[in-house]
Amino acid sequence: MSMSQEEIEALMSGADDVEVDEIEEEIPVIEEVSENEKILEESSDDEDDSIEEINVDDILAGIDGIVDDEAPEETPEIESETTKVEERESEINEGQYPLPVSNENKVVNQLNEVADDSEKKASQIFDVLSFILDENAEIEDYNKEISAFILKQTELLESLSVKFPNVDIFNENLQKANTLIETSKQLSSKVDAENNRIFEAMELMQYHDINRQKIERVMAVIKKLSNYLNGIFEDDSGKAEVQIAKHISGDSSEIVDDDDLESLISEFSAD
Amino acid sequence: MRILIVDDSSTMRRIIGNVVQQLGVAKDDFDEAEDGVVAWKLFQDNNNYDVVLTDWNMPNMNGLELVKTIRTVDKKIPIVMITTEGGKGEVITALKAGVNNYIVKPFSAEILKEKLDGLVKG
Repeated sequence: MSMSQEEIEALMSGADDVEVDEIEEEIPVIEEVSENEKILEESSDDEDDSIEEINVDDILAGIDGIVDDEAPEETPEIESETTKVEERESEINEGQYPLPVSNENKVVNQLNEVADDSEKKASQIFDVLSFILDENAEIEDYNKEISAFILKQTELLESLSVKFPNVDIFNENLQKANTLIETSKQLSSKVDAENNRIFEAMELMQYHDINRQKIERVMAVIKKLSNYLNGIFEDDSGKAEVQIAKHISGDSSEIVDDDDLESLISEFSAD
Repeated sequence: MRILIVDDSSTMRRIIGNVVQQLGVAKDDFDEAEDGVVAWKLFQDNNNYDVVLTDWNMPNMNGLELVKTIRTVDKKIPIVMITTEGGKGEVITALKAGVNNYIVKPFSAEILKEKLDGLVKG
């Protein structure tokens, strides 16, 4: 039977509520257990004296779904923890923990990269702003040409409307031309305002340089600190690395007491 | 008017160049240098600058060293220091080295225009 998406999600999230299908699947196991119990009961009836001889472990092993509740042996866990600690120590000694000493993780390198990358991006932003300024200058030139043409047309229409006051079209076009001259002035003023905003943005880009210098100051501090720490922690004794104790009295980790110690000694002596 | 702009940040050189262009200086009339060494070479090769605008903190040769070097051969050319160094002590040091004027970043285009006008007229 295929599981619905909700059931899969519930299963993945380890939900406590058991679904109907799961119960259905568990029923045969229970039945199987009951059958085995019957066998056990029958065998106990028949062979009361030999009950201890029945290998319960073998029967349990033959039943699906029976989970061994016995606590796992402690020794492998301890060994596993010890291995983990040793692995971690090895990673620290090799400079792999908490982060490998690669160019991507070296602080000064990263800061340097950030500063350089930021400089490139700032230059690209400046390119865009410069492009808009250049385009605006072209728009301004076109606008001047259009405005000059409309002014000439206005003069022509003014003389025509004076000469032919009864022809309405001259007067109408004259009014339209005057409106266009106003529009042209508005366009010019909008382009000027836009240019001023771009100059403001360019001025604000000085903060990029200021921030870069702040990063450089931090880099200088880190370099000096690194040199100082290297100097103060430097071991010029030439002695080989000393083997260090893993568990010392007073540590937060569990230390064997006298009884445990004696018990362990006697246990191993008995073997 | 021929201007030499010295700053290790290309963005700052462009910002200053832009302001200078707003003052009516053509693009061909100003040169850019990314440090004091390049600036000093340009200064020697084209000894026709009317103003030098220089940053302070730069690699290879800083702005203060550049000012001192220029002053060994030219006592008159106006030099403006444009820098983030805003301490009183730094300003005095720069003025003693031969700087004519001093601008602290960030600055407005108006400030640079005023200072340049003052230097050119003066």
